[in-house]
Amino acid sequence: MREETSDPTAGTTSTTQQYAIGISFGNSYSSIAHISGEGKVEVIANEEGDRQIPSILSYIDGEEYHGTQAKSQLIRNSKNTVAYFRDYLGKDYKSIDPTPAQNSAHPLEANGTVAFSVHDTESETPNNVSVSEIATRHLTRLKNSASDFSGKTVTSAVLAITTDTSDEQKAALTAAAVNTNVEILQFIPEPIAALLAYDSRATDGPISDKLVVVCDFGGNRSDVAIIASRGGMYSVLSTAHDYDLGGSQLDTVLMDYFAKEFEKKHKSDPRKDPRGLAKLRLESESVKKTLSQSATATFSVESLADGIDFRSTINRTRYDLLASKTFARFTALIEECLRKAELDVLDIDEVVMAGGTSHTPRIANNIQSLFGENTTVLAPATSTSALNPSELSARGAALQANLIQEFEKEDIEQSTHEMITVTPHLSSAIGVVVSGQPEDSFTTVIPPATAAPARRTITISAPKDGGDVLVRVVEGEREIEVTQPEPKAPKENGTKGEDDSDGDDDDSEEEEEEPTRSKVWRSKRTLAEAVVRGVKKGGKVEVTVHVDADMSVAVTAREKGGKGGVRGTLGKPAVQENGHA
Amino acid sequence: SDEKTPNFKSIGSLSPAIDRKIEPFGAAFLAHARRQRHGRTFSEDDRI
Repeated sequence: MREETSDPTAGTTSTTQQYAIGISFGNSYSSIAHISGEGKVEVIANEEGDRQIPSILSYIDGEEYHGTQAKSQLIRNSKNTVAYFRDYLGKDYKSIDPTPAQNSAHPLEANGTVAFSVHDTESETPNNVSVSEIATRHLTRLKNSASDFSGKTVTSAVLAITTDTSDEQKAALTAAAVNTNVEILQFIPEPIAALLAYDSRATDGPISDKLVVVCDFGGNRSDVAIIASRGGMYSVLSTAHDYDLGGSQLDTVLMDYFAKEFEKKHKSDPRKDPRGLAKLRLESESVKKTLSQSATATFSVESLADGIDFRSTINRTRYDLLASKTFARFTALIEECLRKAELDVLDIDEVVMAGGTSHTPRIANNIQSLFGENTTVLAPATSTSALNPSELSARGAALQANLIQEFEKEDIEQSTHEMITVTPHLSSAIGVVVSGQPEDSFTTVIPPATAAPARRTITISAPKDGGDVLVRVVEGEREIEVTQPEPKAPKENGTKGEDDSDGDDDDSEEEEEEPTRSKVWRSKRTLAEAVVRGVKKGGKVEVTVHVDADMSVAVTAREKGGKGGVRGTLGKPAVQENGHA
Repeated sequence: SDEKTPNFKSIGSLSPAIDRKIEPFGAAFLAHARRQRHGRTFSEDDRI
C-alpha cells in the first residue's frame, strides 16, 4: 500500500495521517463514503463495483465471501451464510427477532451472546461465531475496500445508526470497530446524516429554517423522524419505527405473485422448497429494483422448482396494485410520526426519503399526495434534484467524519455533552405585525422549536406613505383553517389548487369537493412595541430579534438603510424549574 | 413607559421554553459548541 509523505504543516499532535470515512451499516446493505481529493463527498465502490454492499458473510471451505458474492450463497450454502445481523449486536438473545435470518444461518445463544454456527474454517465441525465477531469481519471488509480505493489506511469513522440504537448496541459497535483498528469518532443518527447530505449542497448563505420529515425505508425495518432544522442545527421532534416493514415485505408481495403463477402452470409451489424459496426471493428483489427504474420487468429463474425453468413478466401498474396495502403502511408510519410531534402535514416543508425502498416511485408519489404540492419530497420519482436515497447515510457520516477528524477525542466528548446539547427551545413562534397591516397578520421572525441563543433578521414593507411605523413584536401560534367548499357550486372560484392532491382516488371525486385546509399564523401575545419614526415613502423596516440563552430577548427595529433605529430588551420568562420539560 | 427608550415598550416576556437536545452534527452545531464552551456571543464570534 502506498504511504503518502504527509504535509509538514499538517499538525504536530500525531505522526499518522488521519483518514476518517463514513460508514452506513445496515441489516441489509452497508456503504462507505469519504471526502475525495477534490473535497467532494463520494460513495466508495468495493472491489465488485458495488456501492450498496450486502451486509452478508458466507463461508465455503474456510474461505470468506462478502457482499454480493455472499448474498448469492443464500441459495446453495444458506446455513453457512450470515445475514441480517446488525440489529442482533448488543442485544440479549431473548430480545431478538430471528425472523429475518430464517433463510440463512440462524442466530443462537452461546456464551451469553448471540452467535451463528457456521463452518468458517476447513474443519468438519462448525464454530459458534459471535455476532460481534461477525460485525468485526464485516467492518474489516468495508475498511479494506475503502483503503484499497483510496490507498490510505482508514484510522477512524463516523457510523450512521438508527435513532433508537441503545447504549449497549453502541458499545457493541464500538468494540467491533476497535477490533478492526478503526476508532469510531461519533455515531450519527441516520436521519441527521441524510439531512447533512442534502444541506452540504447549499453553497451560499445560511440554511433556511424548515421542518423536515426524514423517512428511512430499509430492507427489514422503516424509521421516520421529524426534525426541526434551524440555521443548520437539528433537533429531533419525534420518531416512529416499524420493525416489520421494508423492502423485504415488498419482495414477499412479488414472491407470492410469481409463486402463484408458477403453481398455476406447473402444479407445484416453489416456496415449499428452501432453495426454490431462496431463488424466488433473490429474483423478486431484483425485479422490484427494475420496477423502480422501468415500467416492466422480467422474472427469470433457472430450475426454480422441480427442475423447471420459469420466466414471467410484470408491469409496474400491476405491482403497484399488488403492493398497495404495503405501500399504505409507509404513509401510515409518517402519519404516526406527525401525530407524535403534534404536527400537521401543512407544517412540513421538506420530506427527505432515504433507504433503498425510497427508490419505489409509488411510495414517493403517495407521500407527495399526503403532503401536497407545497412540500418538497426529495426522492428520485418526485424531484429532479434528489440524491440517491441509498447513499444518504454514508454521505452524511462521511461529511461529519471530515468535519471532526482532526479533533481531539476530548474535544468531541465535551462538545457532545448534554451541557452543550440540551438547550431551551422556543415553544412559540416570534413574529411581527407592522402598522398598516391587518391586526391578525403575522410575519414569522423566529419559528418555534428554535434553540436559544438564536438571532434572525427580517425586512418588511412599511405602510405606503411611510411616517411613524409601529412594530409589534408578538408570539404566534399556527392554526389550521378549514374552508368548506360552497355547496353545489359548479365552478371553482379562486381555489389555489391545493385541494386536488389529497391522494384518495375513490369514486366520489365528481360529487364532493374536499374542504380546503390552510396554515395560518395568528399573533397570540404582544411582547413589545417599537416605533420607527419618519420612515420614507415606500421604505422598508428591518427587525432583528435576538433570543439569548436565558430566553431574554433583544429587539432592534430600524428603517432599512437608515441609522440607529430603536432598541429594547425583554426580560427572561418566569422560571419554571423542576418538573416542566 | 421606559424613559430611556421612549420608542420602545416592553410588554411581556417569552412563553416558557422547552428543553430539547440539539443534535451534535454539522458545521453550525460545531460553531454553537465553540461559542458555548468559550462563553462567546454571536457578535464576539463574528469578530474572530
